[in-house]
Amino acid sequence: MEDKLPKEEVLHVADLARIAVTEEELETYQVQLKKMLDEVDKIKEVKNYDEEMLICPWDHEASLRSDEVGEVLSNQEVLQNAPSHTGNFIEVPVMINE
Amino acid sequence: MKEYIPTIGLEVHVELKSKSKMFSPAPNQYGGRANYNTTVVDLGYPGTLPWLNREVVSIGLRACKVLNCTITRRMHFDRKNYFYPDNPKNYQITQSRTPIGRNGFLEIEVDGTFKKVEIEEMHIEEDTCKSMHKGDVSLLDFNRAGVPLIEIVTKPCLSSSEEAMAYLETLRRTLFYASISDCKMEEGSMRCDANISIREVGSNQLGTKIEVKNIGSIHNVGLSIEKEIERQKACLERGEILREETRRFDDNLGETVLMRVKETGNDYRYFPEPDIPFVEVTDDMVEEALFSMEMLPKERKEIYLSRGISSVNVEKLLQNKELSDYLNTYIDTDLDFVVGSNLLLGDISSFLNRTHQTLKDTLLTKEKFQALVFKISTKELSSRNVKDILDDLMETEEDMDAIISKKGIENISDTTYLEETIRKILLENVSSVEDYKNGKDRAVKYLMGQIMKETKGKANPSMANEMLLKELSKQ
Repeated sequence: MEDKLPKEEVLHVADLARIAVTEEELETYQVQLKKMLDEVDKIKEVKNYDEEMLICPWDHEASLRSDEVGEVLSNQEVLQNAPSHTGNFIEVPVMINE
Repeated sequence: MKEYIPTIGLEVHVELKSKSKMFSPAPNQYGGRANYNTTVVDLGYPGTLPWLNREVVSIGLRACKVLNCTITRRMHFDRKNYFYPDNPKNYQITQSRTPIGRNGFLEIEVDGTFKKVEIEEMHIEEDTCKSMHKGDVSLLDFNRAGVPLIEIVTKPCLSSSEEAMAYLETLRRTLFYASISDCKMEEGSMRCDANISIREVGSNQLGTKIEVKNIGSIHNVGLSIEKEIERQKACLERGEILREETRRFDDNLGETVLMRVKETGNDYRYFPEPDIPFVEVTDDMVEEALFSMEMLPKERKEIYLSRGISSVNVEKLLQNKELSDYLNTYIDTDLDFVVGSNLLLGDISSFLNRTHQTLKDTLLTKEKFQALVFKISTKELSSRNVKDILDDLMETEEDMDAIISKKGIENISDTTYLEETIRKILLENVSSVEDYKNGKDRAVKYLMGQIMKETKGKANPSMANEMLLKELSKQ
């Protein structure tokens, strides 16, 4: 079995996460990501597992909240955790070019 | 040119009318100052947990009912992963494997033909924040983040822009009447994506699917479908091979333009949302969701038509839920619905528009409306009289008879008085009677004028006219 992922796959994953990777990093990640996937693959060896158990491992149903309006954050609180802002708006670098 | 058949499927998002958001107690409100309706959950702060709003499930169940979907009794949520600033968690909580409803339908009517539009599935999900792009920055408003949505996906079963528009209009009205959503496309509480492909006549294989995203009005959905069909035909005629892509409708150009290539299905790496256990939909929950549901447009239409209202007026009534709701409060009475609807759509609507009020703001009581309709039906009041008394009916607490008497329109239905007046007028205007006998119809008009003058405008015109003609025929 190949001990590293194909380069294209790592680049695709990096692209989905919007991360730029150097040639050197690429080599490292090819090996590391493959190892991670192999670990996760061990699940496949378990026989007769309960699929629902994987979705939710504990045995109780969701508790539902009643539809009531509660406290909100002040605009100041919202903005103080933002990288930057314009007026009341949070400002981030533009990500689309249509 | 070869002949092609279009195949269209629609994906519609509507914002649900709950008081608070889907997973947080922040208010679910349109407009307002940016970033004033948020909590740590909506902003995706680390360590926060989503807590599902019971009302959202309830509204979803109502939507299942009105769209004839099979309810998923044991459902869970999934994470749809993507990296974009409109969603700081980097995933949207949605339902991928267990949508709340499946296999539904909605009946539409196009040019008198009925068609069942098949609904593949309907799922609940959270809305993202609103972003505005300015130069090299995006400005984010998280008031919309976490607002509950349902996405309703049809099968590719529509075959024209007319069908697509009829579906959207029927859907909009149905969801609005069932208090599921405001369905205001202009405010974004209803949004539509269209999947469009064409195939040659005789071919069984569907053509390449092109998605047109975020179309802002029902009219533009129709337009973008037509433009897209034309564009795809032209491409195929030139011998080009179409590829799957996402486009958007450009209002100014009046055509669809290519958008950036987005992630495809697998790239979203859906997996079950581990922070929300299974939701069991019980019979009690379904019953509770349907308990206070109002009558849907389809049933209202059937009742109105059966009570004699013209199809034009039925359509007008359904466009105004307040008036339709009002008329519905008389369903169990013998109220004349034709007169009642004419009154609501005519004089009462004019009054409401003129005074910028709703029916609830006025002093029109059930008794007054009923009495008014009765007096119009029995021709005790003419349309002229109605105009004279309507403002008082709507704005004062006086009862019908008091207003009529105050306005001096009492003797109008006194047939003896009218008969005497008509005979008197005919005796005084022998030449006009002769003119009438000689076929001059305008003599009737003149004589009517004399009657109105004699009664100081108090005579019921249609009654007087009828009696005048009867009297003339005896001459």
